[in-house]
Amino acid sequence: MRPPRRLSVTRTGRTYLVVTVGVGLGALNTGNNLLYLLLGLLLSVIVVSGVLSERCLSDLTVRRLGAEAAHAGEPFAFRWALSRRRGLAFALTVSEVGAPLQGEGRLAALSAGAEQVVRADLKAPRRGPVPLTAVKVTTTFPLGLFAKSRVFPLEGTLLVYPARGHSCEPVPVSHEGPAGLVGSARLQDGTGDVAGLRELAEGEDARRIHWLKSASTGTLLRTEREREERRSFVLEVDPTLPLAALDRRCEELAAQAQRLLAEGHEVGLGAAEFRLRPAVGPGQLRRLLRALALVGHAPLAQEEAA
Amino acid sequence: MQPRSLLRLRLRDLAAAFAFVSMAVSGQLPAPALVVVGLGVGLALLGRRPFGSRGGLSALVLALMGALLMGAVARGMVDLVVAACTFAGLVTTQRLLSAPTPATDAQVHLTGLLMVAGGAALSGELLYALALALFATFAALSLGLGVVEAATPAGEVVPVRAVLRLLALGLLFALVGSLAFFVLFPRLSWNVAGRRVSPGLGPATTGYSDTVRLGGTGTLKTNPRVVLRARLTPDPGLERLDAYWVGSTFDTFDGTEWSSVGEPLGSADQVRLAPGGEGVLHQEVELLPAYGATTAVALESPSLIGGATAHSPQGSRRTGLVRSPSGEVRFAVRGTGYSYHAYSMPPARQETRAARVKDASLFLSLPPDMDPRVSALAARELGTTTEPLASAERLATYLRSNYRYSLELPGEVEDPLAHFLFERQEGHCEHFATALAILLRTQGIPARVAAGFFGGERMEGHYVVRAGDAHAWTQVLVPGRGWVTVDATPEAYRAAQPAALLAWLTRVYEAVDALWRTQVLDYSFRDQVDLLRSLVRPPTSREAMPEGRLRLPPARAWAAALAVALAVYATLRLLDHRRRRTAPHAATGLLEAVERELRRTPGVWREGEPLEELAARLRVSVHPLAAPVARVTRRYLEARFGGVSLADGEARALARVLARAIEARRQADAPRSVTTGR
Repeated sequence: MRPPRRLSVTRTGRTYLVVTVGVGLGALNTGNNLLYLLLGLLLSVIVVSGVLSERCLSDLTVRRLGAEAAHAGEPFAFRWALSRRRGLAFALTVSEVGAPLQGEGRLAALSAGAEQVVRADLKAPRRGPVPLTAVKVTTTFPLGLFAKSRVFPLEGTLLVYPARGHSCEPVPVSHEGPAGLVGSARLQDGTGDVAGLRELAEGEDARRIHWLKSASTGTLLRTEREREERRSFVLEVDPTLPLAALDRRCEELAAQAQRLLAEGHEVGLGAAEFRLRPAVGPGQLRRLLRALALVGHAPLAQEEAA
Repeated sequence: MQPRSLLRLRLRDLAAAFAFVSMAVSGQLPAPALVVVGLGVGLALLGRRPFGSRGGLSALVLALMGALLMGAVARGMVDLVVAACTFAGLVTTQRLLSAPTPATDAQVHLTGLLMVAGGAALSGELLYALALALFATFAALSLGLGVVEAATPAGEVVPVRAVLRLLALGLLFALVGSLAFFVLFPRLSWNVAGRRVSPGLGPATTGYSDTVRLGGTGTLKTNPRVVLRARLTPDPGLERLDAYWVGSTFDTFDGTEWSSVGEPLGSADQVRLAPGGEGVLHQEVELLPAYGATTAVALESPSLIGGATAHSPQGSRRTGLVRSPSGEVRFAVRGTGYSYHAYSMPPARQETRAARVKDASLFLSLPPDMDPRVSALAARELGTTTEPLASAERLATYLRSNYRYSLELPGEVEDPLAHFLFERQEGHCEHFATALAILLRTQGIPARVAAGFFGGERMEGHYVVRAGDAHAWTQVLVPGRGWVTVDATPEAYRAAQPAALLAWLTRVYEAVDALWRTQVLDYSFRDQVDLLRSLVRPPTSREAMPEGRLRLPPARAWAAALAVALAVYATLRLLDHRRRRTAPHAATGLLEAVERELRRTPGVWREGEPLEELAARLRVSVHPLAAPVARVTRRYLEARFGGVSLADGEARALARVLARAIEARRQADAPRSVTTGR
């Protein structure tokens, strides 16, 4: 059983209640009718406060719009849509109940008929799927003495991507491209279009010799080709790592993936049995972040696997 | 600062001001505190907050003032409650003039609450209720606006009007609810600490003094403040009593001023002034703070005064009575107000119960260097008349006929009596009373001047006397009858003469004040029991009830209860039905209005055709109504399905646009008459 409304006393409300009790004791002790009159006013204000706050919370509909992208440790925009059929509601604050999300959305007034979107900057402490169970709408209207809340059961999940940051780990070796020339600046020739000819230096690969030109000039000439920048990387994460280490690893990989994708490389992901085929573009980044958010928390979806 | 915050701060400052007023109406706060707080509130309302950057210094000054107040309390100069209330006012002022923050706001409202509680402890004035209601109003509006402001995201506008409207409605219910709580909250103790009597605002203005001095300035007759309230037994039942309420009598006139000879006697619980007996008129008199004197007043002619209590802001205490040889009775203890019992002989019995006058020569003395024309005038007017009462009546008639009443006083003159009789020939009641007394004395007839009030207005079973009823008249000593009142003042000018509007306002205020006293200040456990009893109305006679039969309310009570229950049930059902019923969409009204207009032009709209199809058809056929119909259709669809509500009056405006277009088309289609001129 859960009460339909939750009521808490604000700091101002605590002072108000203390004064009310004091006035009541004074009235009872002295029999002063003006103190009784004041006591009546104070009690009546409490009752009216309860009625008006209930008026704000009743006949309310809440719809969760969610967030575009949520990264752990930094504020992200989260939205709800509120509406009511009649009357006005004031001073509403909206928050998620039972989820480790900090922050709340505020709405000065909600008029009847039109749906209004409430935006909040929420913050999640760590990556992973965050189950959302209910939305809490609170009002301190009319006088700020009490905070009355109504909880709307609303199931959902918020996927929090790993925190954004810099990766200190070295970039793994790419799976495709001139892997054999890695490590030598002179040997790191490209594989793209022909850029020109030059004399073959000692120790260079004889397969690059342009035999026709070499024969015509009598000198061994080799072709120079534009370097092919796009390479393919598959980032690996061990899902069996301890949770803290896994989080750190996912953050590293997320940063690497973001950098590599920004440079135009293909990036994929490997996590035990799970394989995400290397690809490029913002869509791949979202797939990577989604996979990295889920690693260690939930089995990755089959369609993500390569 | 945002305008919305300015409004909230103004409301907060006004709330604090009225909280202070709720204490100030008691008239007990020190005048310097009134000045300081008044200045502080004025500056705050002007938006000047000089303590914003000097919080520490202002707090130090505040602490110093608190120490001074405590010192005054320790030396008995100031009452503890008054000192506490004064300090609360000073704290509020310091907070008002500090930089506005949420913490400051909360402190101002808290001290405001404490001040209205202090005001309840200080006085029982009707104005307290007004100040309390205004404080509650402004504080609630300020708090409510603050709550909505806090929930408003940066850059958005606070819906001030809507907030204030709802808050005002809630406040109205709160005020009504407070009365319900007041009536129903069980009274577990008697009112022992309420300060029923306080000096109130403004000085005492009765004009009653130890002497009667001719000359000077003033317009007391227009003052409507109530100074005396009395319950008479047996109740005469008259709306206007028009009786003389005597306080003092004067025997010696020095040419300018009347006074009494002799030293006052010792204090006693009661003072007998004349022989009493059966049939005397009992008066339960209450002298209010506006009275401002220490002389007891009773209906003419008083025989016994006793049972006096002096009231002050510190409480009530019994007081003795001191009698002077002239018959004046004073309270031994100084108070803000007094209550006592008085018994007076009815006019018919005064003749047989007259007090003996030991030394009549005292009432024949004349002022030195009196103008000889005075005695000549008396002799001329009396002629051969020598009987005291007839002489007095004759001279009084002469004065009333030949002299005019005026509230415009002449100021200081050397011989006020001669100036009145022979030069100005107009004056107020003291001139008339003095003239008659002295004219009688010149002819050897003992006379004196009495001062007190003339009047008595019925109000809520009491008779009230106003400051403007202050009056002076003449008493002539008639052998065998004692002192007999003869009033030379024209009858129309004896009682108070306030302006008509002022009198009406005063009556309204006093009616409300009477309700305030009886229904609020004196409300008690007994009243609660009576209220419950009146609701239930059980059988009052035990004898009428057969032995062993269960005592039940009468049948009409059951019928009334059943009717009320049915009414409540029907109301609840109706409300529930209304709540469940889906309100028609606002856009539906627009659609109906548009359809009404379209029906006026046959051939355009097919009954039942959706609006969007009609708009499309008209557009294809390049119909003259295509544009207005398209505009209305687009707005209807937006309002009905697009979440863009119609503004107030927009539906009517759109319908009018369509109606004008239809009318224009009709006029265009009408056959034109052609006239040709030669």
